[in-house]
Amino acid sequence: MEIIKSKEEYDVIVVGSGAGGGMATKTLSDAGIKVALVESGPYFDPADPETQTQLKWPWESPRRGAGTNRAFGDFHMSYGDWSLDGEPYSSVEGTDFKWWRSRMLGGRTNHWGRISLRFGPKDFKSKDYDGLGENWPISYEDIKPYYDKLDKLVGVYGTKENMFNEPDGFFLPPPKPRLHELFYIKGARKSNVKVMPSRLSILTKRINNERGICFYCGHCDRSCSVYGDFSSSSCLVIPSLKGGKVDLYVNSMVNEVITDKNGRATGVSFINKENGKDYKLKGKIVVLAASACATARILLNSKSKAHPNGLGNSSNLIGKYLHDTTGAGRGVFIPELMNRKIYNEDGVGGMHVYSPWWLDNKKLDFPRGYHIEIGGGMPMPQYGIGWNPNDFNKFFGLRTGGYGDSLRDDVKKYYGSTIYLMGRGEAIPLKENYCEIDPNSKDKYGVPVLKFRYKWTDNEYKQAKHMHDTFEEIAYNLGGIPLGNKPTKKDNYGISVPGEIIHEVGTTRMGNDPNKSVVNKYERLHDVDNVYVVDAAPFVSQADKNPTWTIMALSMRTSEHIISEFKKQNI
Amino acid sequence: MKRRDSIKTMFLGSIGASLTLNSCITTEDKVMLDQVWKYNYGRTYEELKWDYKVLTSKFFSDSELKTIEKIANIILPPNEKGNIKDAGVVELFEIIAKDFSTPAHDEYGEKVLRRGLNVFDKICNERFGVNLIDCSDDQIKSVFDSIAFNDNKDEGLQEAIRLFAVYRGMVLTGYFTSEVGINDLGYKGNTPNVWDGVPDDVLKDYSVSYDEEWISRCVDQSKRNDLAEWDDDGNLLT
Repeated sequence: MEIIKSKEEYDVIVVGSGAGGGMATKTLSDAGIKVALVESGPYFDPADPETQTQLKWPWESPRRGAGTNRAFGDFHMSYGDWSLDGEPYSSVEGTDFKWWRSRMLGGRTNHWGRISLRFGPKDFKSKDYDGLGENWPISYEDIKPYYDKLDKLVGVYGTKENMFNEPDGFFLPPPKPRLHELFYIKGARKSNVKVMPSRLSILTKRINNERGICFYCGHCDRSCSVYGDFSSSSCLVIPSLKGGKVDLYVNSMVNEVITDKNGRATGVSFINKENGKDYKLKGKIVVLAASACATARILLNSKSKAHPNGLGNSSNLIGKYLHDTTGAGRGVFIPELMNRKIYNEDGVGGMHVYSPWWLDNKKLDFPRGYHIEIGGGMPMPQYGIGWNPNDFNKFFGLRTGGYGDSLRDDVKKYYGSTIYLMGRGEAIPLKENYCEIDPNSKDKYGVPVLKFRYKWTDNEYKQAKHMHDTFEEIAYNLGGIPLGNKPTKKDNYGISVPGEIIHEVGTTRMGNDPNKSVVNKYERLHDVDNVYVVDAAPFVSQADKNPTWTIMALSMRTSEHIISEFKKQNI
Repeated sequence: MKRRDSIKTMFLGSIGASLTLNSCITTEDKVMLDQVWKYNYGRTYEELKWDYKVLTSKFFSDSELKTIEKIANIILPPNEKGNIKDAGVVELFEIIAKDFSTPAHDEYGEKVLRRGLNVFDKICNERFGVNLIDCSDDQIKSVFDSIAFNDNKDEGLQEAIRLFAVYRGMVLTGYFTSEVGINDLGYKGNTPNVWDGVPDDVLKDYSVSYDEEWISRCVDQSKRNDLAEWDDDGNLLT
């Protein structure tokens, strides 16, 4: 096999260009460090009209935006979803895990919900509160300065609330609530559920002259052509490329970290997806940010004499403690919102208000909390609109179905009258939930693939039950009717399939004890002093928050640590 | 690869031979190619290849398409706001039939959309001795009266009821995702604007209001262009 080797030795090789890799690339290259950024997907710039989907209309797609090629619809900005051609994965029988992969510059940050929540002091030490899981080796105070810098660098709107476990930051002002959100506020308050402005990394106000301001098209999931929302591509990687310190390798699938006979990393090998050839890059330091499970896969596939069961795996913990956010949701029909006056209510691409966790788990039968996200309003029609045009007739004792001119009126009558309540909660990380290399299966590039084993426990089921109890109470309190049947124990309380919320973390967890963790508090492998992990793999626990803001703050902290090591000439 | 180049490559790959031999494009090829050119919505090369396949093949026969057109016009009769022709509803049936052909979709075109036509024709034949296309509008409506409502429990009609619901869904979704349909609905967004809250008259209609404490912290849209600056405690100064 022909292997093409680079002559140059980079200071740092970063694998993956999403939230963690983009932040490492920017922080390191800004400090003058020479970086090779290796991305498995193509180049992507949200401003490029060739690939843009923002502001497109449903009829611009032959299938009106249906999800044939992209699971969340034609206009959704993710190249790749739950499945990728020729790159399979599987689950142990009786278990299920869904793995989302976005193969493009910026990765999943091009389509994510922009919900940007800091972890709170409790989230780093939850074992102290309930004895479950493990504490992080760092505290909120260690990471706070990086959250602060991140807020100013990237921009996030929100409000100061002075809540202990929902730390405030440097916020841009939030947008005013939409009508259905005013209904939610009313219902939530009546149910004694805290409700406040959401915290999203969308620019409601200018933060620099390189990025535009949100123009309220409601579609951050399509990635913003004026960079009014945060994507790693537009806000971190593309600006870094202008500094001359970054070489970008796209369509380059890293399969292994290469080590010398002493077990230290000397670079990475990758497959160029355009010509199918193998390449090797040399680097003094390797920073992995391929996403929690892809990073675990690379490490487990990097076997050598010095590391017989995978790089950095002396603890046998790589892939273990995999966990995702829990999810459950319910639609609510609000009769008062029938026959709405129509005006432009797109707003930002996501909710303007939300509910952070508002209760004390000590008084409940499940250990960890959840937050509530709210959807609804009068969004742009897409494939599926009008499918059951008068289903809600049943609430008025009227016939459903039919045909003829009245169907037009039915669609208009019910348009904008439904809201969606979605709970997103914290799961307990377990050693028994993991990904591992499947000895019997390879992808189309010949690289061994992952097999998952993931099961929720009563901790999560009881939490999902509580979510549904809460949704019903809020639904009635805001004058609505919850849709469908409330899921019961038999339906596992409607809890999401693990992986479905796309917050998978924990596969190379962080800790001080090399027997109980894979990386140290600077996200460096315990076993190898020049390999770091800056995606969500080092998370000890995923709070009732969303992981992105913490991935980036940690990546910035780790990158500054690497810079200081270079300065001290430890490398 | 740019979209134009991608399409050119695919085009030359599949019918390039006839191009060089005859140095002309047949009328049918041209019609299909125009279809491909019509859509421009940021596809990857792989997606474009799929679209090309979907848009340059034919699923329904002309007479089947005429039947679909007839059904669609009765499900959603034309009025001054729009009609199924301007909404491209029949074309959508043709595209979805081929597009939902992957194993995940379980041959939707054959097993659902074409099956629907066969089942509707069968009922028309049993009742009137002719296919649906040859029935009068009143005859078709009498058939629809028995299969369009979800409260009909007649066991012999359950498949037809299920399939009619798909036809109704397709017609309405096709209409309301078209330009005329979206205008008919009145949707006002998907355009750059500055959101500054629910209009006052709407707030009044629902007897809701913004509370002062909440709204005082929301964005002042007249200052959206001023560079954000904070004090050390995170208070916005600009």
